[in-house]
Amino acid sequence: MSDAPLLEVKNVSIRFGGLKALSNFSLEVRKGDLKGLIGPNGAGKTTAFNALTGVYPPTEGAVVVGGVQINRKASEGQGLFSRGAMRPFEINRLGLARTFQNIRLFKQLSALDNVRVAIIARTAPLFSAERTYRMKVAGGFSKFAGRTLETINNYLDWWRAFFRTPGFLREEAEVTARADELLQVMGLSHRRDELARNLPYGEQRRLEIARALGTGPKVLLLDEPAAGMNTREKGDLMVLIRELKDRFGLGILLIEHDMKLVMGICEQITVLDHGETIATGTPAEVRADPKVIEAYLGEAPGAAA
Amino acid sequence: MYGFLQHLINGLAAGTIYALVALGYTMVYGVLKLINFAHGDVMMVGVYVGYAVAFLMGREHFGTFAGVMLVFLVSMLACAAFGLLIERFAYRPLREKPRLTSLITAIGISFALSYGFQLDLAVNLGGTSYTLLPGAASRAFPEIIVPNQWFEFGSDDQSVIIWNWQVISFLIAAALMVGLQLLVFKTRFGRAMRAVSFDHRVAALLGIPVDRVIAGTFMLGSALAACAGLLYAIKDTSVQPLMGMYIGLKAFVAAVIGGIGNVPGAVVGALALGLCEEFVVGYTSSSWRDAVAFGFLILVLLAKPEGLFGRVQAEKV
Amino acid sequence: MIRGAAPAILAAVGCIALQALLGEWAFFGYLASLVGVNVILAVSLNVINGMTGQFSIGHAGFMAVGAYTGGILSLATAQDRIGVLPEVVSDQLFLVGSLCAGGTVAALCGLIVGLPSLRLRGDYLAIVTLGFGEIIRVIVQNTQALGGALGLSGVPQRAGFGMVWFWVFLVVLMARRLAASPHGRSLWAIREDEVAAEAMGVDTTSYKVRAFVLSSFFAGVAGALFAHFVPIVNPGSFTFVKSMEIVVMIVAGGLGSTTGAFTAAVFLTLLPEGMRSLFTTLGGGDPSLAQKVDQVRMPIYGVLLVLIMLTRPQGIFGTHEAWDAVARWRKKARA
Ligand SMILES: Nc1ncnc2c1ncn2[C@@H]1O[C@H](COP(=O)(O)OP(=O)(O)O)[C@@H](O)[C@H]1O
Ligand SMILES: [Mg+2]
Repeated sequence: MSDAPLLEVKNVSIRFGGLKALSNFSLEVRKGDLKGLIGPNGAGKTTAFNALTGVYPPTEGAVVVGGVQINRKASEGQGLFSRGAMRPFEINRLGLARTFQNIRLFKQLSALDNVRVAIIARTAPLFSAERTYRMKVAGGFSKFAGRTLETINNYLDWWRAFFRTPGFLREEAEVTARADELLQVMGLSHRRDELARNLPYGEQRRLEIARALGTGPKVLLLDEPAAGMNTREKGDLMVLIRELKDRFGLGILLIEHDMKLVMGICEQITVLDHGETIATGTPAEVRADPKVIEAYLGEAPGAAA
Repeated sequence: MYGFLQHLINGLAAGTIYALVALGYTMVYGVLKLINFAHGDVMMVGVYVGYAVAFLMGREHFGTFAGVMLVFLVSMLACAAFGLLIERFAYRPLREKPRLTSLITAIGISFALSYGFQLDLAVNLGGTSYTLLPGAASRAFPEIIVPNQWFEFGSDDQSVIIWNWQVISFLIAAALMVGLQLLVFKTRFGRAMRAVSFDHRVAALLGIPVDRVIAGTFMLGSALAACAGLLYAIKDTSVQPLMGMYIGLKAFVAAVIGGIGNVPGAVVGALALGLCEEFVVGYTSSSWRDAVAFGFLILVLLAKPEGLFGRVQAEKV
Repeated sequence: MIRGAAPAILAAVGCIALQALLGEWAFFGYLASLVGVNVILAVSLNVINGMTGQFSIGHAGFMAVGAYTGGILSLATAQDRIGVLPEVVSDQLFLVGSLCAGGTVAALCGLIVGLPSLRLRGDYLAIVTLGFGEIIRVIVQNTQALGGALGLSGVPQRAGFGMVWFWVFLVVLMARRLAASPHGRSLWAIREDEVAAEAMGVDTTSYKVRAFVLSSFFAGVAGALFAHFVPIVNPGSFTFVKSMEIVVMIVAGGLGSTTGAFTAAVFLTLLPEGMRSLFTTLGGGDPSLAQKVDQVRMPIYGVLLVLIMLTRPQGIFGTHEAWDAVARWRKKARA
């Protein structure tokens, strides 16, 4: 069981109009993995993340998170009666969390609240979340019933907040404690009550990671977490990422622009160019691959990712 | 059977007018992703301009080609200028702000226009009084196209009538729509418009004069709206300050039904809405007319929220 | 639970006391009720427009639903009594029943309107709610049982300003506690960045719909309250103008600030009322001058919206709350 992949991507393609931003992308992430995804600018790395997290449903292929396939027919619309693919929040609850390349924090919320939003403290008042989830997955009438029960749960949950029941207060304290712990892990405790938009750039990036960890993921996708940092900060961050992996028992997939950094910490690397996977393997293998050298030398020196 | 045909004709005639207004919504939404709430009210202003021109021109020019052209051209030009002003001073400063700010601004402009025009305001200069704001009462719109039955079919109590203004509106609307389609797909301006609607930041990097393209889009949309408003006023033989809000909303519904941002979709949506309204009113009661559009809208949003021809557009992440 | 409800119980006692003290002063009572209803409307609309960042402009529609539901119910039960209780108490219990019924039916309408439109971007909600308001108006005007265009008269005048302000207290308490709960945080997150919120496991649609339903519930209650202190309930009270009035209040107060919505609602209700009395007096009792002033109000609202957006889009209070300032001040005083 322990070696079943947590995230399995099979031949995923994404097309934007005429542009094939990602084609036949395949990958597996298991517990304890630290994998890298590199490629020149516009290679389709972020697009790959978007496909995995349900932001853009893949045109073809399959994405399986924790044994559940998240994409169904991409052609289905978003009407009430035709929900095709799973929505991003559902995918997140299966244990897949991400950060964003262009930081997308909740700018007007405090650092603490940014993390607290991600921590779902949902002790269901009436029907256990697990039960409603199982009913929903079963499909058909059971899906409808499961959704109804879940809705009732949600409304009852609001009542607890309005009446500030002891259970609610206890839970709130737990959530806050957990958020504080994550802030401390990411070295942000001193920023706890500051608004996210007032944090310096490097700390915003770390807050993004803290927030993603708040959702309790099994797999963490990091989109250029060190972008805009100086060399020392980058080094520190990479050490931290490795620690996170061990401490929380994660599998991590990392996009990074600094080739040396990726080569230093990743065990396995996938290289994208124009949406195509041009190489996969250990850092040594990838570095020696003539196609990779060509893709990078084709770019201006120094811009190499 | 005759009743059915007559409703069909009336529905199509109404639909073409909605279509002209809907095009303005769809174009502006295309380039700015903004629901220009004030669009209908700009149209209303255009109709009042047309009213004033017809009034000044005098009765003897009604029904002449030159007279009609004058009313339409002045009103369309005035509206284009008005659209430009609104874009320049209300929307452009907010373009990079959160979307809600522009939406609220648009709602504010719409409100200010439709209720501002309901005030009575006149100034007295040298003995004559000049009306500045027309007041809430509905006014009879001058018969610049003298109503005339061009076609009648059947006996007295069971007949199909096609009016000259129906044919004229249909022709004008069709010509404008074809022209617009050519403009969007065959000219440099159209190409720039499509580039801006894809991503206005990228378009700016490519050297496209984004500000001018957006301003041009507003002018174009407003001119079309003025034309539509005049046709509507001729059909309805009246003009009143709230007409912009009502026609505008229906046209917007039409644009959503067709898939907002999609030019042919707006036309199809408008024709569908015009027919639907006409049939519901024809077979039940006219007091339900205003509810039809919104019932239709909610049904479409339930079943196919991206509209008939629209595509789901994921936000760029 | 008991401790959580304590403020509401205290407020109920306070409102009953005030009603007993000032209940005879009809002019004050009417004005206070009017202000209270607008505060309920503004604070509740702020939950969806301010805290969640969606944009509803059909609040008057939900108010109408509440007003007619509550009004019809009270008309039907006007003669009923709960025998063992004194008449006043029995009446007030029936009134609370009507208010809750009005709120509930409005909330159901909110669900029906919100489900299809809240899965889409915020501006669709604006159109659909506007449409909803119009549909309600058309339905009411065409239904004889609801009094048609003439309106519904004879609804027992049971709502004193004490009852109204009790609900004001409830809606403010609700907004405050919501904002400080995980649900409130999720709503803020949706307002800030919907894509990120969704990626962090927030079921954005469900939260938006719930916020909208809650907002509609209180609009319904406000409508029902309104129906119980005005002589006639007619469709003219719930037009687009009414919706816009509420929108202007929350935009001026600062989208997202309950304190701001409250303050602006009080101010923007009293100002026109004061102007009306002033100009009626100035016109020597002739109401035509006051009517003129009343007409000018609506275009001014429109211009005001535009000016606020261009110069100070965060409104008066931004997203700040009075109680946060108080808490900060107390903390400082202690230190
Ligand atoms: N929503 C979108 N619509 C159209 N094209 C897109 C969209 N998102 C990304 N692209 C295109 O897909 C390609 C890959 O982009 P991306 O995945 O962001 O690259 P990167 O490897 O730098 O992260 C680019 O050419 C980009 O312009
Ligand atoms: Mg990228």
